[in-house]
Amino acid sequence: MLLHVVNRSPATSRVYQQALSGMSPDDRLLLIEDGVQGALPQLVRYYAGLEGRLFALKEDLESRGLLGHCDASVQVVDVDGFVDLTEEAERTVSWY
Amino acid sequence: MRYAILLMGTPYSDQASHSALRFAHALVARGHCLEAVFFYHDGVHNAARLAAPPQDEPHLVDAWAGLANEHRVALQVCIAAALRRGLLDEREAARHGKDGVSVQAPFELTGLGQLVDLGMRCDRLVTFGP
Amino acid sequence: MQDHHHYDSDLLVILRHGPHGSSWLKEGLDAALVAAAFGRRVSLLFMGEGVAALMPCQKKGPLGQKGTAETLEMLEMYDIDSLLVEEQGLSCLGLSSDDLMLEVTSLSPPALARVFAEHRLVLTF
Repeated sequence: MLLHVVNRSPATSRVYQQALSGMSPDDRLLLIEDGVQGALPQLVRYYAGLEGRLFALKEDLESRGLLGHCDASVQVVDVDGFVDLTEEAERTVSWY
Repeated sequence: MRYAILLMGTPYSDQASHSALRFAHALVARGHCLEAVFFYHDGVHNAARLAAPPQDEPHLVDAWAGLANEHRVALQVCIAAALRRGLLDEREAARHGKDGVSVQAPFELTGLGQLVDLGMRCDRLVTFGP
Repeated sequence: MQDHHHYDSDLLVILRHGPHGSSWLKEGLDAALVAAAFGRRVSLLFMGEGVAALMPCQKKGPLGQKGTAETLEMLEMYDIDSLLVEEQGLSCLGLSSDDLMLEVTSLSPPALARVFAEHRLVLTF
């Protein structure tokens, strides 16, 4: 199982497509930095099919005023949770 | 676990440096061994000795140096990427006939082979890009 | 903690940028060449815009900027023979693998995911 990390918003960047095309059915995806916009209900559709495997970084949501605005299907993790995710995955692949 | 970080974002232009530092501190707080941070592409600017950010902003160069000194983390800067961008240590400044040094200690200039070595040796390598 | 998984190859370098516009392609290739020079088994994956790196008949850029085509021609000398291209990246530019300067393997998304699993280390440029 790999952890993919995306730091761009699907509203403006196609990087999310690259991440998705490299994902296996059990891989996980973490949204950080501007990527957390992808956790909004209006944009989360770009990540359809990742229910249970889609995460967003709490600190980056918080600093952008988006913490209370995430779709219910997204699991919010803090930076310690980010570390957990990298421990649990064999490797981390970053898409930026 | 043994970790390494690869940082390729420019300080103050992208969030990458802030994200990498935050992650680095979380790693060591959890008891992991962060062996090294490797700076490549525009990430080499994190080693800029002459960076002078306003006082109410985090000083990223000092923050890296602090992390290195406190937790014995190597700060390895790709020498080829650094020289092109005007980042020289004492040895390289002398070699190229320049009268200033622009790389902050304990950042060290090193080859890309170190990055490959880190990636193979460490249990995890996490990349932060721009 | 030791990773006992067997990997077919050591390093996968993902190249997502074309020549001349930025240093991503050049610096990604440099990492691949160094790894290969150190005896590592390296694969290159050209994704998205990175497929343009494989166009034949490239010339120097402004101010005589060298570009990357010469480096790509040397890959065989470094024993880098695993050249992979994202199918979607090709079709997006209206190209087929026959249009490219080197022989490549074109990969669909399921095959892409398998490639990620086969390498000990993945670096994205």
